[in-house]
Amino acid sequence: MSRELLTGNAAAAWGARLADVDYVPAFPITPQTEIIETLARWYEGGEAPGRLVMLESEHSMVTAAAAAAATGVRVFSATSSQGLLYAMEMIYAVPGWRAPFVLVNVSRALATPITLEPDHSDVLAARDSGFLQIHCATCQEVLDSILIAYRLAEHARVRLPAIVNLDGFYLSFTREPVKIPAAAEARAFLPPFAPGEVEFRASKPVSRAVAALGSSPYSYFRYQTHLAALEALGAYEEVARDFERRFGRWHPAVECYRSEDAEVAFLMIGAFSTKARDAVDRLREKGVAAGLVRPRLLRPFPQAALRSALLGRRAVAVVDQNLSMGSGGVLAGELASALYGCRGAPMIARFVGGLGGRDITAEEFEAMATEARAAAETGEAPAPRLLYTAAELREVRKLQAIALAGPREAGGRS
Amino acid sequence: MFRVRFHGRGGQGAKTASQILSSALFLEGFEVQDAPRYGAERRGAAMFAYVRAARAPIQERGVIARPDLVVAIDDTLATMPAAAVLQGVAQDTVVLIQSAEPAEAWRPRLNAPCELLVLAPPPGAAAQAEAPFGGVRCAGAAARLLGVVGRASLERALEAELAGLGERLIEQNRVHALAGFDALAPHAGRVRGDAPRAAEAPPDWIAVPLDDAAIAAPDIHATGTSAASPTGLWRVLRPVIDYEHCKRCVWVCGTYCPDSAIRAGEDGRPNIDYDHCKGCMVCVTVCPPHAIHAVPEREAA
Amino acid sequence: MSEALQPRPIRSLKDFPSEHLLAGGTPMCAGCGGLQVLHEVNDVLGANTVFVNAAGCMTLLASYPYTPFRGSWLYTSMASAPAGAQGVRDALDILIARKRLAPEEDLRAVVLTGDGSAYGMGLSATSAAIERGLDFLYLCYDNEGYGNTGQQASGATPHGARTATSTRGHGGAKKDLFAIWAAHRPAYAATVIGSEPLDLAKKVQKAAALKGPRLILALAPCPPGWDFDARDTVEIGRLAVKTGLWPLREYENGRIAHTRVPHPRVPVEEYLARQGRFRHLFEPRRDEEAIAAIQAEVDAYWRAIG
Repeated sequence: MSRELLTGNAAAAWGARLADVDYVPAFPITPQTEIIETLARWYEGGEAPGRLVMLESEHSMVTAAAAAAATGVRVFSATSSQGLLYAMEMIYAVPGWRAPFVLVNVSRALATPITLEPDHSDVLAARDSGFLQIHCATCQEVLDSILIAYRLAEHARVRLPAIVNLDGFYLSFTREPVKIPAAAEARAFLPPFAPGEVEFRASKPVSRAVAALGSSPYSYFRYQTHLAALEALGAYEEVARDFERRFGRWHPAVECYRSEDAEVAFLMIGAFSTKARDAVDRLREKGVAAGLVRPRLLRPFPQAALRSALLGRRAVAVVDQNLSMGSGGVLAGELASALYGCRGAPMIARFVGGLGGRDITAEEFEAMATEARAAAETGEAPAPRLLYTAAELREVRKLQAIALAGPREAGGRS
Repeated sequence: MFRVRFHGRGGQGAKTASQILSSALFLEGFEVQDAPRYGAERRGAAMFAYVRAARAPIQERGVIARPDLVVAIDDTLATMPAAAVLQGVAQDTVVLIQSAEPAEAWRPRLNAPCELLVLAPPPGAAAQAEAPFGGVRCAGAAARLLGVVGRASLERALEAELAGLGERLIEQNRVHALAGFDALAPHAGRVRGDAPRAAEAPPDWIAVPLDDAAIAAPDIHATGTSAASPTGLWRVLRPVIDYEHCKRCVWVCGTYCPDSAIRAGEDGRPNIDYDHCKGCMVCVTVCPPHAIHAVPEREAA
Repeated sequence: MSEALQPRPIRSLKDFPSEHLLAGGTPMCAGCGGLQVLHEVNDVLGANTVFVNAAGCMTLLASYPYTPFRGSWLYTSMASAPAGAQGVRDALDILIARKRLAPEEDLRAVVLTGDGSAYGMGLSATSAAIERGLDFLYLCYDNEGYGNTGQQASGATPHGARTATSTRGHGGAKKDLFAIWAAHRPAYAATVIGSEPLDLAKKVQKAAALKGPRLILALAPCPPGWDFDARDTVEIGRLAVKTGLWPLREYENGRIAHTRVPHPRVPVEEYLARQGRFRHLFEPRRDEEAIAAIQAEVDAYWRAIG
């Protein structure tokens, strides 16, 4: 099996194709559109047997996806950013239908201001919904994670929809070498969809997703969705091990890169985590015991694996490429909560960067490690840092000068 | 703290009664909290409203688990399990039922340890449930039972809460509220707030088990289960078929009935399903030979 | 499935089944004109249906563990029920085409919606579903307001009606949803009312035999929302038709035909006077201008159709 150069979007399309998806309700949005265009081309050309239908909004698209999954077919869809947010009512509603399907999110930063470049604020807005979440760092992971996501979502003890996230631009439009599994091998790993009790057919009438007025039944159903999501922790191990056995690639719930003996660890998700790996290597060359802890599985939250990786480290630099307004980075808060009260919990230094695709430089990684280590020395948690340089601010001031100048007269004179 | 619950059917003024009492208590210098509680059901179905009043700001919230005073505006609710009139009622709870029947008739029916009082409906009222002033009468009665609301506060509260109704209606309501207030004079102050709280057992917490996805979603695999829901309890009027005049054209009444509550029996006679008939009376209006008559529910029952 | 549940053709009122498919015990109001339509339609369509519900009064038809349905039901959201129907329909088609489901297991997808969604929030999804040629029935119970939340004004509220958000009478005009559908050139569209069950049954049977997007738009007299006694639901429905305020019409193959031409037409005020939501047109004084304006609009409509 040779490797091909594929963009993240193309890898996603291949994941859907190899998963033998039946139905793709679609709606275009930058930077995922290439995924649905690729699938449309394959389906129209007869290269793959699925069916793609354009819906008129992401809210409708997710409704159609879940309704089709609840009827008994394997469903795939894709969105980003504003589209994910537009669908948010249904993103929160459909996990409770317990009809599994896979939604790829090509993460893109959120308005305001409107932009096209990536960060993780969009996908993290779905974190409380009941959708499972898998985060990819490479195009290979994108393809592999879609197959894994179907096995996981359709697992008998889970039965929940799953989001597979890839960064816009840095993965979606970036080509990397990807091994495309043979169709037969993919099918052996992922058997055809078994709807179980969740289907619509004349001989089995059912009233589905009905109201529950009464706090005890309501609470029961909500707890069940949560417990099923937690069950995905064990199911993920099962599925990932099977994937490794068949394809030789190990995709852990939490990747630990040189972190076993690290003094300071970075915590990141997504494509920029490979930059963190790079930074770890350079720090190690300089004699700093650095490491990277990278959750791939974010929902369910891999608390045990994170504790195992981070307890005993002196410091962790959490790099959040997202921002919860008025609070800070989401991962930092979730990590602190996971480590609270545990012996050997590291000092947490919080950083927010990479918003709207902002680069995080090698120098910044080193400086973050330095700050984290210094904080471990003093024992005082530093204030969260929004990564931003003086040069960047000067740049913005120039732009502001233009934007805030008085109105220009016709003819170009100000 | 006074903890009061008013029970009525939707449209009978239980909420208004609670608001009048609450406002009156507020005018007397109490801190208050009042709220209605509805189920999914509509007009005619049982609901309740509650009032808390205390000298200090009230921290308690939500439904009243241990009422000091329960008022049933409509006596047909008193023995209806779904109405939960006796929920949380203890020995020192005063239960006031607005009813033409005396307390002696109610004691064996309720079979609950409580202090039972009856407020007679206004004289000449055809059926108390239809009387539009039953709610305010009960508000007045409740005010007297608490013993801390004076006449003037009751009147001011009523005017404030009913401001939108216009002079004539406000005056009628005032007369009824004061009649209720006066009727309970022999029992003024009988309701004491802050009955000693019985020692509560600790909560029976469990670890919620993970159930199979097949049962863990809000899906109903059985069909027609709404038949277990006794919407017939909404009725205030009951349609009764006079079979001597009935022409067996069940395709008329049965089709127009919105609730599928008329079916043909073996002999082709239309039968009304009184477990589910809501008493809309549409069948009465469409019956070609006018063979269906409206009968007050309490007469028919 | 028992014989009683198989739909039989309805040619006269006598053909209406005595055993009804929709069970009783639902929490809809006594005298609900919408429920009346649903139970009539359900008898005509049979149990091989999946009702895909848009948020509205009828959301509460199925509330765990109670459902009145002997067929299937899926609650979606206020805006996207047609998309839910799309998903169900496409999935059934795929399953049957790939022989993963026997053809006799097929279901009819029926969107069930109030006017709030149909005339407003759901328009985008509805328009797109028609545009995609979705094979579905769309059943709208129009009680001329957001009923489930207490009758606030919606896109279907007629001019002059009192609602919870237009206490002096609605300033807007009722949208013509039938015309909006007709402009999309669907497979079929019809207006019906529960007080005319035979007309309704014929139209629903006709729609059921067709494929593609099909509208059944039912005026649903609403006792609490329109402020009248529940017993008058049928009479008010009949007046809506007899005054010409609710034309009973069909769209098919580019043509609109009326299945009832009331002649002579009953004056609109007989309809308006029965409803508390129009009381301000009569008390404390008659608003002659407003009543005449409503009459004029109705007259103009019937004059235009010739």
